[in-house]
Amino acid sequence: MSSSNRKPFFLWRHLNKLRWLVLSTVFAMLVILPYVHVYQNYVSAHAYDLLAPSEQRFYDLMQTLTEPLTDDPAEDLDAIKGNTWSGTFWGFKLSDPLAAAGQMAASLKVFGPFLLTALIPILATLLLGRFYCGWICPATFLYELNSNLAVWLQKLGVRTGHRHLDRRLKYVVLALGLVLSAATGAVLVAAIYPPAIIGREIYYAVALGGFGAGAVFFVGTLLFDLLVARRGFCRYLCPGGALYSLLGRYRLFRIQRIVENCNDCAKCNAVCEFGLDPLRDGFGQECNNCSACIAVCPTDAMTFRVRFTDQPDQGPGHLGRQYRKQHAGEGRS
Amino acid sequence: MSRRRFLRQAATGVSLLLGASVPYGLAQLLSPEPARAPEERRHRPLPGALKDAADFSAACIGCGLCSEVCPPNCILFHEREGGEVVNTPYINPEYKGCILCGKCMQVCPTEALTETPRERVDMGIAQIDRLACYPWVDRGICGACVGICPLGERAIRFKMWNQYRPVVQQGCVGCGLCVEVCPHPSLPIRIVDRSEGTVTRHRI
Repeated sequence: MSSSNRKPFFLWRHLNKLRWLVLSTVFAMLVILPYVHVYQNYVSAHAYDLLAPSEQRFYDLMQTLTEPLTDDPAEDLDAIKGNTWSGTFWGFKLSDPLAAAGQMAASLKVFGPFLLTALIPILATLLLGRFYCGWICPATFLYELNSNLAVWLQKLGVRTGHRHLDRRLKYVVLALGLVLSAATGAVLVAAIYPPAIIGREIYYAVALGGFGAGAVFFVGTLLFDLLVARRGFCRYLCPGGALYSLLGRYRLFRIQRIVENCNDCAKCNAVCEFGLDPLRDGFGQECNNCSACIAVCPTDAMTFRVRFTDQPDQGPGHLGRQYRKQHAGEGRS
Repeated sequence: MSRRRFLRQAATGVSLLLGASVPYGLAQLLSPEPARAPEERRHRPLPGALKDAADFSAACIGCGLCSEVCPPNCILFHEREGGEVVNTPYINPEYKGCILCGKCMQVCPTEALTETPRERVDMGIAQIDRLACYPWVDRGICGACVGICPLGERAIRFKMWNQYRPVVQQGCVGCGLCVEVCPHPSLPIRIVDRSEGTVTRHRI
């Protein structure tokens, strides 16, 4: 069995750390950018003396931080603006594919320049699948922390929810959201889409002096995840997740199992936030390539492959007891 | 308490309540228009916004970029109203006026805001209540609205040389800076739709 020496590329085991770095960076940006905006307001008002002492301290701090970067904060700090729903980087605009879909449904026409801003995310989703859900979404950052909280609560003896609903529910939510957007003429999907909610609610809270109604909805989803189903909103209800799952069905880069290295320990199934079945090659279109299963695998049995479809079920792992019993006497190289 | 007595008391209470509400309802029905416009009438569209409010709320995805680049932070959002307007932006000139810098039009990813030269922006037009404005009722000189106007003579000017009575011209784009600086507590200058004219009509 010469192929039993196949090892995944060693850096893939550390991708999960990179993922947490990306997630926390995105979330930190969503908090920092509104403060940058407030600072720019103060700068363009030219009224430092009229600020309250606390505002002056904030002004001084921001000035110290941004002085090495720019000497015209009112203009230059406009370089990075926005959130994951739609943002601009040095004039280059990027938008969420769901924003494009929802806006097309609401206005019942296609606006080319806006669709172009969603093009790169769409192409990346076609290649990498539902990577947005695992790598960028600011709600994922909070939802995964929420999952960790659920584990701590279980250790304290609190019962948390582990129900399983039908995964196809989110496609219904997506279709319903788009149809209702078309019917009411407003982008309603934005009101039930957690990353969009988080982006704008943090902005409302910092720059406009208070949370809006979306914050209540988001706390509701956190409670849903805690009390009904682990990561339940992403798994069963999120319209964005449904869209990316559809786009990423034939993604090129997918996590696959190396059956020769697998010992059937099922840690991958336990760690999978989306409740998939990596142990039996059940990734499907919903895998978000988060690489948590690669990081957790003790025998290097998970790796990235370039394939358009999943491998069919490869059966029990070759290091597992069941496989060894079945193939006893064949000899291992 | 007997059932009969309870019913009688309940009926008395209800009829008293209804009777007391009649004067209130009559006052509501017969009263003239309130001096201050209702809340939603003070919400003005953004510069360069689509003309039709329904088109605008269909095109806007509620990303908040326009507000995030706004130097005076004058752009507010329908945060809790729900329905079709949820998360769409507006400007309330009584809180803060627009400085017509055009950044929001540049940054908007959708067709909700299109880049428009500042003279051709249409957010409404200023309307002056000549029964309240200080110079118009001969309560001193002011000229704050004329002084702040970013468009100058073609938008608002004094009625006659050295006479501080402001008159709004058709070149006004409704940015609302005049409303922001107006010192009169009842804000006799306000931004209205262009069709409503530049002078408040009073029915006396």
